[in-house]
Amino acid sequence: MTLFSLARKNIQRNLSNYFLYIASMVFSIVIYFTFVTLKYNDDLSALKQSSQQIKGLMSASSVVLLFFIVIFMAYSNSFFMKKRKKEVALYSLLGVRKQKIGLMLFFENLVIGLVSLILGIVLGFFMSQGLLMILVRLMGYEIVGSLTFSVEALVNTTGIFTLLFLFTSLQGYRVIYQFKLIDLFHAEKQGEHIPRASLVAAVLGTALIAFGYYTAASDMFTSEIWRFFTVLGTPLMVIGVTIAGTYLLFHSVSVFVLTALKRATSWSWKGLNLIGVSQLLYRIRANAKSLSIIAILSATTITAGGGVFGMYYNAEATVRQMLPNTFMWKGETVEFSQQDVLYNEALSVKNLRVDNEFSFFEYTLLKESDYNRLAKLQGKDEELHIADGSTVLLDAAYDERFSHDFTGENFKLQNGDSFHVEKMYTESVLNFIAAGTVLVVNDQEFSTTDAEVMKMQVVGLDNDLKQQDVSKDIYKQLPSEQQETFSSVPQSYEDSLATVGALLFVGSFLGLVFLAATGSIIYFKILTEAEEDQAKYAILNKIGVNSKQILKTVAGQVAVIFSAPLIVGIVHSAFALLAFSQLFGMNITKPVILWMVAYSAIYFVYYIFTVRSFYKIVRQGN
Amino acid sequence: MTPLLKVQNVGKTYGKGANTFTALSNISFEVKKGEFVGVMGPSGAGKSTLLNVLATIDTPTTGEIIIGDTNLARMKDAELADFRRDNLGFIFQDYNLLDSLTVRENIVLPLAIAKMPTKAISARVDRIASLFGINDLLDKYPYQISGGQKQRTASSRALVTEPKLIFADEPTGALDSKSATDLLESLSDLNQSQASTIMMVTHDAFAASFCQRILFIQDGQLSKEIQRGTLTRKQFFQEILQVLSSIGGGVNDVI
Repeated sequence: MTLFSLARKNIQRNLSNYFLYIASMVFSIVIYFTFVTLKYNDDLSALKQSSQQIKGLMSASSVVLLFFIVIFMAYSNSFFMKKRKKEVALYSLLGVRKQKIGLMLFFENLVIGLVSLILGIVLGFFMSQGLLMILVRLMGYEIVGSLTFSVEALVNTTGIFTLLFLFTSLQGYRVIYQFKLIDLFHAEKQGEHIPRASLVAAVLGTALIAFGYYTAASDMFTSEIWRFFTVLGTPLMVIGVTIAGTYLLFHSVSVFVLTALKRATSWSWKGLNLIGVSQLLYRIRANAKSLSIIAILSATTITAGGGVFGMYYNAEATVRQMLPNTFMWKGETVEFSQQDVLYNEALSVKNLRVDNEFSFFEYTLLKESDYNRLAKLQGKDEELHIADGSTVLLDAAYDERFSHDFTGENFKLQNGDSFHVEKMYTESVLNFIAAGTVLVVNDQEFSTTDAEVMKMQVVGLDNDLKQQDVSKDIYKQLPSEQQETFSSVPQSYEDSLATVGALLFVGSFLGLVFLAATGSIIYFKILTEAEEDQAKYAILNKIGVNSKQILKTVAGQVAVIFSAPLIVGIVHSAFALLAFSQLFGMNITKPVILWMVAYSAIYFVYYIFTVRSFYKIVRQGN
Repeated sequence: MTPLLKVQNVGKTYGKGANTFTALSNISFEVKKGEFVGVMGPSGAGKSTLLNVLATIDTPTTGEIIIGDTNLARMKDAELADFRRDNLGFIFQDYNLLDSLTVRENIVLPLAIAKMPTKAISARVDRIASLFGINDLLDKYPYQISGGQKQRTASSRALVTEPKLIFADEPTGALDSKSATDLLESLSDLNQSQASTIMMVTHDAFAASFCQRILFIQDGQLSKEIQRGTLTRKQFFQEILQVLSSIGGGVNDVI
């Protein structure tokens, strides 16, 4: 029997053991191949200006992805090797040289690698086709891309994964050479020590996280901390502090809490609570690193996904905030399709140069009667009646942190006149592009104000997001100096979707990968422990614990291990997103909550699978 | 007095079709409340199978097992687990302690599972621990104590629920002779003072000499039964050796 056939038979017979390993390999390859295929896709590159952005984004993301895949593969490989230590020991005991065992495992890895590579590339090809369609949709294009098999992607993927397989094989060799036969006979570990809680570490961990949260939640423009660490340094500082705090949280605070629970005998001496809490305590310190990594990864995924999804969700609202009319331009009216037209008005406004103690700007002076008419057309039921010498200021770009609040002050014009600012609105009736900040005065004041008179066309269409053709039609007819003053809701919306949609796609894609990988890491970890704990549950069964109770305690323990990093991750990301929404001045509560729910739901599926497998392993021990 | 344990025509067959192996056949006996019964026999005679079947960890192929007034043959898996919890105690050769629990918690466990109030648990644990002389060890972990101490802990755990019937499977198998004697004396005391019913499987004649009655098993069948009666322990030990040499096997184990 040659080594190769031994390796082949090994795989054939232990297919179920290998399944998980091969599945995680295939998963990595599918993800990577899909991503690279999209990167090299011609249809995508053909899509106008935004494709350059996407290409850059994809390249950067594939580096992140690769980094992640390396970690993931190393993890699943070491899990797999751990499972096979006994087999290796047996060969060794029977007198097979380490060199030969190594060679055999190397062959095995080769077969597994080849199989997963082929499977992964085939699956990846189909997946990339589906994903391309989603991407195109998200970016708001109607084109359905036809996918050609990308040779570049094939070469790229094969090359990278051959290197990775080589790397994991070497990892396998290392395990064999470090392995001592005596370990086999000491399989029973001499009791891992039960950890004792360190008060200092627990307090420090809590303090670090609290400080990180406090900084993230404080106003970045007024906070002393932000000033001290600068706008670039503070986020880095917050991330560092939070990561350190998270580790200490899992390392010490968890031990503290569990020990306290265990001491509360009125709770712990009830049913299997004692077993659950002791098992967790017994494991938690060794798991502190993994749990922190998972918490941080979850936080990253939720933050990035939530932020991008928030932007996508707000894309329309942002456009509408700045552009209340579907189209607006300065100058004469033009001919266009009259379908869906809600209103088509020509306004006469005045162009002002305004000086005040802060700056000087060009402003648009608007008649009160025009304002009231437009407001009504746009569905705002507010009518203005402004006193002589007063004005209402409309500034769509107003931001309380940057902009000056003029309410109650006098607004001086260049010609010496001045208006008393009665109110300030952040909702305008004119598009911000071209009109800028608007001063509304009564008709009397308007006619006496000395300034350059301008014509302005405002058009409102029904179903405005789809009026791209009309938009192009108008744009073409305008003289070139007026084209600059043209603003269009469908055009702006399309532009922002192209960017944010691509961001959303990459964000969700990477998020999904991170999620799958974190889920798998916990899965592997818990199942390794389940195998070590088989004997314990067999003892429990012997002293009269029925299978229902065992299932309950198993589900409880796994729930803690799953939910602890998830909750920490969600809270971390909530604070990060708070800072994010502050920075961009957006309300992203709803999309973020949606995102978190989706994330937790997929995570929950992993939980169910893990409990089932755990229980199955435990029952085998009886 | 009605017997506590009644075994009627119990048989256990492994395998199917032509490849069957009969581990136990046609075993019948009774154990009264407060008895200390030993089961002896050469390796492979079926001692452990018998104990497992009686302890509801395994199910018999034929026959009836009645503990108290409960017929075990007709019970389902979950019911059996509950029955074990409420009525039986186990002492194993390899202790079967949970190493993530302290000695105290190991002893608490069966009571916690039975949902006893915390105060009552504490009182019981203290009492049983002083009975086995392990009061000072209660807050230690299993890896910090010796084999003899572990077996006392395991015995405390088995007895703390005051079970109707205690099964011991080679409890002294992994102990040195001093620890073995200590443990057996404790069990014997307990049997006399608390009228606990104990059934112990062993192939060590010395351990068996602490019992009041010994059943010998050979090739899956009950072959002989002896009573200690008024004999001293040493005299009983000699008698056991004689029986063992007459039925063959087992003698080697004594040396």
